[in-house]
Amino acid sequence: MERIKIKFNGNEVEVDSGKTILDVANELGIHIPTLCNFEPLAPKGYCRMCVVEDRGALKASCVTPVAAGMEIQTDTPLVKEARYINLQLLFGERNHYCMYCESSGDCELQDLGYEFGLDHFDFPPYERKFLVDNSHKFLTIDHNRCILCRRCIRACSELAGHFVLGERDRGFNTMIIADVDVPLGESTCTSCGLCAQICPTGTIKDKRAAYLGKEVQSDIIPSTCDICPLGCGINVYRRSGSNFIIKVYGDWDSPINGGVLCKLGRYSVLYDERKRLLASKIRDDFGYRKIDFDGVLKIARSRIGDDAVAYVDGSLYNEELALIKKVFGNNVYSINPVEPPIPSSTDLSGLSKAEGYIVIGVDLNKDYGVVGSMIKRRVLGEEKAKLFVVDDGFNSLTSITENVFTFKDIEQAFDKAKGLKDVVVVFSALSDTIRDTLTKRGELKYLWLPFETNTIGLIKNGIKYEMKSGKNVFFFGKDHKKIRERFPEAFVICATPFEIEETEKIDLLIATKDGFEREGTFYNLEGKSLKRNKALESEYNVIDVIDLLSELSGKTKSEVI
Amino acid sequence: MKKVKVASVWCEGCSGCHMSFLDMDERLVELIKEGMELTATPITDLKIPEEGTDVGIIEGAVGTDHQVEDVKLFRERCKFIIAIGDCAVFGGIPTMRNYIPVKEVLNRGYIETESTVNGKIPTSNELGKLLPRVLAVNEVIKVDYYIPGCPPSADAIYYVIKELIEGRVPQLSGELLKYD
Repeated sequence: MERIKIKFNGNEVEVDSGKTILDVANELGIHIPTLCNFEPLAPKGYCRMCVVEDRGALKASCVTPVAAGMEIQTDTPLVKEARYINLQLLFGERNHYCMYCESSGDCELQDLGYEFGLDHFDFPPYERKFLVDNSHKFLTIDHNRCILCRRCIRACSELAGHFVLGERDRGFNTMIIADVDVPLGESTCTSCGLCAQICPTGTIKDKRAAYLGKEVQSDIIPSTCDICPLGCGINVYRRSGSNFIIKVYGDWDSPINGGVLCKLGRYSVLYDERKRLLASKIRDDFGYRKIDFDGVLKIARSRIGDDAVAYVDGSLYNEELALIKKVFGNNVYSINPVEPPIPSSTDLSGLSKAEGYIVIGVDLNKDYGVVGSMIKRRVLGEEKAKLFVVDDGFNSLTSITENVFTFKDIEQAFDKAKGLKDVVVVFSALSDTIRDTLTKRGELKYLWLPFETNTIGLIKNGIKYEMKSGKNVFFFGKDHKKIRERFPEAFVICATPFEIEETEKIDLLIATKDGFEREGTFYNLEGKSLKRNKALESEYNVIDVIDLLSELSGKTKSEVI
Repeated sequence: MKKVKVASVWCEGCSGCHMSFLDMDERLVELIKEGMELTATPITDLKIPEEGTDVGIIEGAVGTDHQVEDVKLFRERCKFIIAIGDCAVFGGIPTMRNYIPVKEVLNRGYIETESTVNGKIPTSNELGKLLPRVLAVNEVIKVDYYIPGCPPSADAIYYVIKELIEGRVPQLSGELLKYD
């Protein structure tokens, strides 16, 4: 890269030629106000708050590359006046009256107003009335608040890869629209919520979070999403001094998801309506009765021995798995399959470089939303990567590609992908025939999406998918549905966070912590160990599986991991 | 000591800004000792500002023809006009009716409200007529200084009046400049 000399506020500096004026200012520690510019997005120069003066001319610093001989001034009267009038126009165009707005205090436009000492409007506001789109389950769009910075549109396409949001009309009549101007709730929106996270004003709001608290009223807890084995970085906003979650935001700095989340990680965790098991219960001839921690321990201890087996699922963290192995030795099995049909031969960075994708039997929008984003932004974006979908049932990915095949015609997908250099096959579970067909194709790269959050942890701990019976069967995890059915004769002890039907006839139910109440590490699909931090205190009479296992094994978690 | 005559008026607002003014508490006494003289204000219950008033404080937006007259009189008789509070500065809550025709607003208010029986829209000439749009004060007269906030804090009002009494130009920033 060529080094060039420019003048910055009177001082001569040497800079790399490819950079923008704003980049250089940030490096020099010179403050330039910005609004539409946002780090992971490509700069567009929509809002013009970042104008600077170069030898008498005003230039938007976020989109103007530095050039030899430039004399940049960031603080002249001309620059100040231009920015101030620009801000007045932004405030005057639609309704930016903070009193009405729930974003007051969390608003970048308001912050600029304060920064510039804006204490009145020069232009009469509230002339036009705009639509409030309340059709979406999780989001609301109040177009009266929109400043047309298009961050949402850019995030929806450049980052999340959904390409749902767009714009219609021009100039001051421009409107942000979903699909072909349909209500957001009826559009192809996948509810990833990134637009609400990135909106600088109160236009796109998270319905649930809007009235629960502002950023300054929150404790922000960095953590990891444990819905799927991808392990996206999240920031959990808990109301300060309280015990509830306001919202979950993607972590912009996470190397895995870079801020993007999916519906499951952002919303489903907060809208979970499954019935919690509120206390531990034991079953006798008269039905269930409550039992305290000491009682649980006494019964559990009496049932541990050579004739006891433990079953686990992929919702357990590494510390819990290690302690379970301490207690039950090798008599620990997985209730669900763990072994990959074909091991992965690439990782997420390989995924983000590929030219073609063959997705087999998995609806990425639904189950692995962020993996879907990684693929879709390359398929629909400038890279023009090719997508091949192989599936028999409904798969929402089929709406963005012509290359859709049934399992029977899978060979056709390979033939069509032949010319492409770098093709990644993405799958979760596979039938034996498909697996055999795939293994013959040595030139392809494979990315296996594990079935559960910590499936890789189960593999690393040598926990196998087998059916071994015992007189006493322990189960740890959430996926308890099959346990009684498989062991009709045994004494079954279930440590689980969710209520189980009485008809299941589990002998001892141990109520455990769930979701944000737990902490621990797990391995994501790349085999990276990720830490999940606790963000909530449990309000129920429930037991941390770690405490239970520590008591049973006589070891603490730091001793085993 | 030179007296600084201060008048104030309460247009289309909720009186919260005057409450905030009173919320200066003992600092009111301090300001009065330093020369502030409250003349025509809702606090002293005098309505017409006298000629040569130094500072005129206007709370509330301009929503009726009477209020247009009020603020014009203030402009005529006061040397320095302060618009105080979001309604006076930006138009505020009263501008919510700007998106609805005046006739519909009156019908809803006087006839269609759920608790009203045989309602009618008052027509007395004593009452002001609604303007087609509610206006911020600076859309009607020239305003010399603005204190936004809903309401602005007593600290902000104290700071501005104190600076004016001492002959300086106030500059609101930080905690004193708030829009809500």
